[in-house]
Amino acid sequence: MPGLMDKLRMIDSATKTQVKQTDRQPVPSETQSCYHRSDRFPISSFCDFRHMSPQILGEIYPLQFPKNIKPSDMLFLDTETTGLSGGAGTIAFEVGLGYISGDHFVVEQFLMRDYPEESVLLKEIEKFMQRFPVLVTFNGRTFDIPLLQNRFLMNRMKDIHPSELHADVLHAARRVWKLRLGKCTLQRLEQAVLGVSREDDLPGELVPQTYFKYLKNGDFSPIEKILEHNRQDVVSLAQLFFFLCKLYDRPDIANEPIDLFAIAKAMEKHGQVCKAKKCYRLAAHGQQRASAFSALAAQEKRGGRTDAAIKLYAAMLTRGDDPVSACEGLAKIYEHQLSDPEQALVYTRQALLLLSEPSITESETVQSNRNALQYRYARLRRKIASDAKA
Amino acid sequence: MNVDQLIQKLHSDPAFMENVTSWTTLPASEGKYVDFPSSLDIKIRDVLHQRGIHRLYTHQAESFQAASEGKDFVVVTPTASGKTMCYNLPVLSAILKNPDARALYLFPTKALSADQASELYELIEALGVDVKAYTYDGDTQGAARKAIRQAGHIVVTNPDMLHSNILPNHTKWVKLFENLQYIVIDEIHTYRGVFGSNLANVLRRLVRLCEFYGSKPKFILCSATIANPDELAKILTGRDICKIDNNGAPMGERHFVFYNPPVVNRQLGIRRGVVNETREIAGTLLANAIPTIVFAKSRLQVEVITRYMKEQARDPYGFSGRVRGYRGGYLPSERREIERGLRSGEIDMVISTNALELGIDIGSLTACVLCGYPGTIASTWQQAGRAGRRKDTALTVLIASSAAIDQYIVNHPEYFLAQSPEHALLSPNNLYVLLSHVKCAAYELPFEDGESFGNVPDTAQFLDFLTESGILRHVGGRYHWSAEDFPASEVSLRSASAENFIIIDISNPAHHRVIGEMDRYTVPMLLHENAIYMHEAKQYQVEKLDYDTCKAFIRAVDVDYYTDADLNVSLAVLDELKEKVLRNNVGVTLGELKVTTIVKIFKKMKLDTHENLGFGPVRVPETDMHTVGMWWTVPKSISDKYTNDDLQGALMGITNLMCIVAPIYLMCAPRDIKVIYQVKAPETDLPTLFLYDQYPGGIGLSEKAYDMQELLLEHALSIVENCPCENGCPSCVGPESEVGENGKGYAKRILKELIEACQA
Repeated sequence: MPGLMDKLRMIDSATKTQVKQTDRQPVPSETQSCYHRSDRFPISSFCDFRHMSPQILGEIYPLQFPKNIKPSDMLFLDTETTGLSGGAGTIAFEVGLGYISGDHFVVEQFLMRDYPEESVLLKEIEKFMQRFPVLVTFNGRTFDIPLLQNRFLMNRMKDIHPSELHADVLHAARRVWKLRLGKCTLQRLEQAVLGVSREDDLPGELVPQTYFKYLKNGDFSPIEKILEHNRQDVVSLAQLFFFLCKLYDRPDIANEPIDLFAIAKAMEKHGQVCKAKKCYRLAAHGQQRASAFSALAAQEKRGGRTDAAIKLYAAMLTRGDDPVSACEGLAKIYEHQLSDPEQALVYTRQALLLLSEPSITESETVQSNRNALQYRYARLRRKIASDAKA
Repeated sequence: MNVDQLIQKLHSDPAFMENVTSWTTLPASEGKYVDFPSSLDIKIRDVLHQRGIHRLYTHQAESFQAASEGKDFVVVTPTASGKTMCYNLPVLSAILKNPDARALYLFPTKALSADQASELYELIEALGVDVKAYTYDGDTQGAARKAIRQAGHIVVTNPDMLHSNILPNHTKWVKLFENLQYIVIDEIHTYRGVFGSNLANVLRRLVRLCEFYGSKPKFILCSATIANPDELAKILTGRDICKIDNNGAPMGERHFVFYNPPVVNRQLGIRRGVVNETREIAGTLLANAIPTIVFAKSRLQVEVITRYMKEQARDPYGFSGRVRGYRGGYLPSERREIERGLRSGEIDMVISTNALELGIDIGSLTACVLCGYPGTIASTWQQAGRAGRRKDTALTVLIASSAAIDQYIVNHPEYFLAQSPEHALLSPNNLYVLLSHVKCAAYELPFEDGESFGNVPDTAQFLDFLTESGILRHVGGRYHWSAEDFPASEVSLRSASAENFIIIDISNPAHHRVIGEMDRYTVPMLLHENAIYMHEAKQYQVEKLDYDTCKAFIRAVDVDYYTDADLNVSLAVLDELKEKVLRNNVGVTLGELKVTTIVKIFKKMKLDTHENLGFGPVRVPETDMHTVGMWWTVPKSISDKYTNDDLQGALMGITNLMCIVAPIYLMCAPRDIKVIYQVKAPETDLPTLFLYDQYPGGIGLSEKAYDMQELLLEHALSIVENCPCENGCPSCVGPESEVGENGKGYAKRILKELIEACQA
């Protein structure tokens, strides 16, 4: 008669893993240590810290930084985990911490060699987090920090109460580079913005199974790769953080007009109209010229400087930069700001004519633009007709 | 005419009464009241006074008392008896005393959750206190979720959400788990079979986490009237539960009419269609403006009946708003509108699928018409419970369809009206189910050495097996989760195995939707290509069944037939667990079986009349399943009297009878069990009749069947003895063409002999 184990084996044959459990050196349950490693990097590979000020930081992140903030106040944190779900069964088996000390950027890494080492690892992390007033992560607000808080709870430790000053670089980076790059993973940003390329790097998806394999067979060499991967993550995170400060302080260093356009939009949204204007002007090159001019014109119109707006739209028409938007913008100004519906009608008609040219490729956007303009056209005619009667 | 007059009129109409198989009148009963308990908070008392409630019903007061004594209890009273007060009063009292207290409410469906939540909000608003009750389910928006986790006093949810979302992320619910005082579970009779087996394990995980966080919540359960509510409660919770069933709600006089449409084709045993009969009877009620609810079993039927009734109700302006069709999927606001219309008298008739059965308050109606037997007695009472204002007369008419079970019920009213024989059965320690949930539990919190899951004694073996599979790591006296996946997402609460098929609705080519899952053992029967599949009372046809990707593609259709797959089954006995040898060497055995299923053809059957419209081929691979079953072995002394052909016909007949009888007594769907016969069983060479659970690992049905085998044989015999057909029909042994001209007679004889053997 089959025993319970045999029956279970019959049921669940699908979940067999290849790796055999070998006689690994067991880790005592009352362990007092975990794996620890420290590396130093010369500070020269980081950009100028002068660009980091509480003011600039306040423009990039939705936080209030203290007046006397220093670069050495930042703790850069990145974790390696056993999965992405963030539920009770996911653990952060390694945590990388970076900070500035004197002339160096130090990266300290803590890793649990087996489950009993987790509480030691967490205690070390807690000590660090208490030392630094500012926390900097990449997607840490949504993932890494909640996960660490879970782990504290599961180990029956008091909540870490992470710093309120938590700068999540992911969101800031998206505001600047999403337009150009699309997906803003740390690696893509590394390549495209910092010019760093990794050789022979371990892909993120393989990290969990690499760790589980190590747990079973005790072979540490694949773990070295994970540590290297994580180390580079922390360094890139810090470099990106300081680079963003420089970029917001001196937008002219941006190479790509599209980046400048994105920064200008972010600044405008944040309420920094003057800085945004400067950035739009800097962005007005090549493919970005049309959208930059359009944004500037809209700014001038909102600020009541009608003449300046008209000049900008006129310049767009002369150069053939998105003439349809320019005509529409002019139509709006003439109707609402200058109370000249006839002239508004002229520009509306011009825009419609442009949209009916054979060179236009049909699309939903084009069709809806056309509809909007036709609606405007009809409305203006009615207005003119009723004004004439009055 | 009012309802009393109408009842008199029907009663004296010979044409109507000819088709009535039974008319039972239950006399009115007075309410039984108790004064408000002295410990009931003054604010709550005031609100109740405002609503015109000055005393509690006996069962409400008893519940309040039991809760204050810290007992776990189950309230077993009929619908519309004020059951919600049995849990709302203790819970609100607790929160008023201690603002940190928390409660979790579980309802089987989202619709029911939403309705109960809104009733709760009204009560809380009337109290004017800062008690936060929220629904937390798949529709809850992201931003709201965080607020609910942190601040919600009462979290209203459903089993699936608890299983796949709340428990695996329990660290986000610290406040709830640390302060949980009550777990309220309504409609526990729905948690039977596979669903119940899974829920019992979800509750084990819940209680385990509460222990981790240091809380000791009590259970408050509610059940419809079944034979074993306290047993069910005990199996679901693993605790001793006290039963509260002295219903104090008053009731007016109730009339139950069982109506069987007349036979129109004697040879085939076909009766007048149930939908048309419903139309007539409901039409009479509508013509007299008697507030009525009509329950039908499918959306299609609801739509057809609604159309008929609206035609009848149409006024000269073309307005027919006093008749409303209703089905699941309506927004709470739409349901509120219908409820209002019923209470105000604007709406006279609602036609609905079972969606409305579960406790949703739609005011009280006077009459209820059931188009076809709902499937269980409990369901029937719940639907009938819709009818009946507190003191007034109520009328329920159950109209039988040609289906064999309907015919059985309508001819055996005593089964229905006496003490309920329905046992809710479930099997929480089904190996497949248990293993899945031990996995989920291990993900949620590492197991310690020596810890047992629920009251499962072999927990360590499950953990060792999972360690062997590489999913757990046993170190430092604990079993840690050591895999990347998220186990709860692979476990469906409505199936036993983890290898499910996804059901995809491709009716809208631009947007394919996943509407459900099915375990792979049931798939060949219900989701073969060209099968008509019913989901939430709507019809679909299966267009493609892909075994490689485990997906079934279905498209919405509107047809007047259903399909029934014909299975070829081969069985192998793996193990014998229990055995009885009766007189004359008749054997009854309970054991583990390996079932290999081959589906070759399917039948098309007309919906209304169950006529056979044709056949179609089925091409699915063989499926192997291990399950629990019981079987009767017929000795040579009985079988030698017959030729092989005759024996075959008789056994086929008994099989058919058993298929009708067993689901009724085991309170399961007909497809939850399978009955087959073998003229010569491979192990014994003797004629054998098998009955087994259609779920891997078994869910407790065959075990019960083994215990009550004599009763099943007796009821099977009574069906065939009382059937008016000549030589067989679908309502007893099956059509003569299948069982042969002697099939009915011989089936009767063999059954008699088997029953004789049971007498000591």
